[in-house]
Amino acid sequence: MRERVFAEARFLILTALGLAVFPFLFNLVGGYSGLATQILMVGIAATGFNLLLGYAGVLSYGHAMFYGIGGYAAALMVLKFMPTTANLWLTLLFAIVVVAIQALLIGALAIRTYGIYFALITLAFAQMFYFIMFEWRDLTNGDNGLNNIVPPPIGSLSLTAPLPQLNLGPFGDLSQIHYWYPFTAIIVLLVLWFSRFLVASQFGEVLAAIRENEERSEFVGFSPAKYKLAAFVISGMLAGLAGALRALYDGSVAVDTLTIEQSGNFVVYTIIGGVKTLFGPLIGSALVMYLANVVSAKTEAWRLIEGLIFVAVIVFLPGGVVGSFARGSRFDFSRILRLR
Amino acid sequence: MAALLETRGLTKRFGAFEANKEIDFSVEPGELRAVIGPNGAGKTTFFNVIAGTIPANEGTIVFGGRDITRLHGSKRVHLGIAKAFQTANLYPDQTVMQNCRLAALASIQGEFSPQLIARSKRLSEVDRIASDALEQLELGGAAEARAGDLSHGDKKLLDIAIALATRPQILLLDEPVAGMSIEESRKTDQLVRRLAQKITVLIIEHDMDLIMGLSDSITVLHQGRILAQGTPAEIRANQHVQEAYLGGYEGAV
Amino acid sequence: MEAVAIQLFDGTIRGLIYVAIALSLTIIFGMLRLVNFAHGAFFAVGAYVALLLAPKIGYYASIPAALIVLAILALLLDRIVLRLFYAKDPTSQILVTFGIALVIQESLRLIFGGTTQTTQMPASLMQSIPLGFISYPAIRLFVAVSIIVLVGVVWWILVGTNYGLIVRAGIRDRTMVALLGGNVTVASRVVLVVGAGIAGLVGALSSPIFGVDPNVGFSFLVPAFVVVVIGGLGSFWGAVIAGIFIGILQGLTTLVMPAASDVVIYLAMALILLVRPQGLMGESELIRQA
Repeated sequence: MRERVFAEARFLILTALGLAVFPFLFNLVGGYSGLATQILMVGIAATGFNLLLGYAGVLSYGHAMFYGIGGYAAALMVLKFMPTTANLWLTLLFAIVVVAIQALLIGALAIRTYGIYFALITLAFAQMFYFIMFEWRDLTNGDNGLNNIVPPPIGSLSLTAPLPQLNLGPFGDLSQIHYWYPFTAIIVLLVLWFSRFLVASQFGEVLAAIRENEERSEFVGFSPAKYKLAAFVISGMLAGLAGALRALYDGSVAVDTLTIEQSGNFVVYTIIGGVKTLFGPLIGSALVMYLANVVSAKTEAWRLIEGLIFVAVIVFLPGGVVGSFARGSRFDFSRILRLR
Repeated sequence: MAALLETRGLTKRFGAFEANKEIDFSVEPGELRAVIGPNGAGKTTFFNVIAGTIPANEGTIVFGGRDITRLHGSKRVHLGIAKAFQTANLYPDQTVMQNCRLAALASIQGEFSPQLIARSKRLSEVDRIASDALEQLELGGAAEARAGDLSHGDKKLLDIAIALATRPQILLLDEPVAGMSIEESRKTDQLVRRLAQKITVLIIEHDMDLIMGLSDSITVLHQGRILAQGTPAEIRANQHVQEAYLGGYEGAV
Repeated sequence: MEAVAIQLFDGTIRGLIYVAIALSLTIIFGMLRLVNFAHGAFFAVGAYVALLLAPKIGYYASIPAALIVLAILALLLDRIVLRLFYAKDPTSQILVTFGIALVIQESLRLIFGGTTQTTQMPASLMQSIPLGFISYPAIRLFVAVSIIVLVGVVWWILVGTNYGLIVRAGIRDRTMVALLGGNVTVASRVVLVVGAGIAGLVGALSSPIFGVDPNVGFSFLVPAFVVVVIGGLGSFWGAVIAGIFIGILQGLTTLVMPAASDVVIYLAMALILLVRPQGLMGESELIRQA
């Protein structure tokens, strides 16, 4: 029991430290500090995707539909549904609930179909939501998206306000970071803790069993469909939360959050970072988004390079960056970085 | 006595091929019923339809008085139908004990239990059921071995243990001794006899000595239909069965 | 009335394109057990070949040219990457073919730019042909007839030739075909090339009608996926019926509520999933063993 508490505390402290240092790294390697916040938000969605793919063994090619709808839900809440009395927590909760219902409906339709179909069907439904949001101009402003979203404050604290000044030497100044970052970082910490908890629980054990041998699991009496649906809904909710945060942070949301490209991004980030690892999706998002930011300034071929790296990772490094690291002998971070 | 398991007019087609044709079948609680017949007679298909691995095209399946024809496989397991697979179907990377434990967990917690996010309160019960099942198949010593590393014969026994860990009322065994050595077959024979004392068992087998000595009654399938049904003595004496399958078997009772 | 007839024709042509893509997708899946997310990219490559070559060698000649380019591309991909994945799980296959699709798509974008361009039509097809009470563009008729012929040829090969027999048997039971002496590896490679070729051919054929841009691949692939889900993977007639149905559904919806015309095919898919998850002709058990 004491070991358990110790392990949890160590996890929380180390992760918190990593998160605290993260934004200041960009002062050293280039990029802007706002990128850190965006990476975290995308990372939340990717972590959700990883729960579904890495732990439940289900490949969804429509993850963007939850990310985008979550963003639109938050935007609409602030702009149209409760324009003067918008509350941050209520807005986030609203987005999560909307997305949960969406995931439940889509999942219920798709989950009983055989594996390959599921990827096709989720891709198709994601396209459907893209077109719906594109065409429903009255609600969503179509092509232009919704703009001028002002994130509600937490009490009297505005998220866009900078932290107090504090010189950190080569790492820059504390005031380069806005309150958005620590706010998001705390959410990330909780999301990671929850994922870790979920996977280590018996619920996660059953999911793993279903992933390992679905037929056997059905005939010992588990319902693979229901467990996979639960995983689908949870992953969707995380993506919805991420989308909502992003919409509030960016101040706008548009249909590009619902594209195949966006769904593909989550896949790419997670695979490169390391599917089936706790930190993989976050690190994958950080790596790719950072490189995208730096490289695309210099060449138009970034997306092509990204695609080639993606294929290379699938062919040569199925564990992704984190997975390979963790399995390797020299840097055995496996106890910290991996769960199983 | 009311039948535990009944099928009425059960038909299963694969495309144009009728694997099971209008099978009327019933089994009483406590029976040990052998299902025999030439290869291709539809025995494994029959078991698969009963267990829910594949859906029937026509007819009904009634278990414990309840129509289960449209029920999913996992639900049938909870009602008490457990099938051991013809080719042992295990979690190869898990330990032998963990394989049984998962079955026991499902049996106790049900088809879907989100409350498993928190620790199950009934873990000791799960462990007890799992070790019990292993003991009955004399696999207790191998509890911590990796399931994929077991010998062929032990894998088949583990498959049966997993089925037992679901606490079934009826156990479907599909050629449990296939591929086993004489030693292992004999041991399995003993184990099945013991199991049959406590639960109803349906068994597909080709080993005639085993069948004749073991079963309370025998159902013979031929080309998808029931050819004959009765006690071992009756079946041995049956002309049609002799022609179709036994080819002059005169072994011991 | 005129508008309805035109939409019916337009819808049928769209549908035929979906059918061709869905069929070639299905054949590749059936024979190689490969879920090819790059299939739309093959379509796109064909379209760009036509775009590039039509001004130089003419539209008609660019079509077989597209076939050749795709054949070479498919063989290269098979050699370099795909053969490592034929035996792997569907998830890995989807991921790697998606990666390939990305690479192809982005290469096309870099080479040709991101704007939509249109393939040059031959003068002979620029006119409109009177058909009863409407006047319909000759190019569209040409594309429709070509695809019907193409599908017919595929059908004939599958049903009427020994070669097709191997393919159909391979779809049902690959191991058995190998055991019986059919050369499964060669047959598989040929199927991949033919499948990719069909996608590229149809891409080239239809490029004057729909415009060519790097995203055209997925914009036709996703509806083809819908066709495959509705019609059942592995079913020839399922793909044909579902494809035409989807195309016409889109066309008719454009008449009534244009904003919904893109969405309606997904609603149809949702309905089918609700009522008959294995698809119209679904050979659900067959695929379960895949």
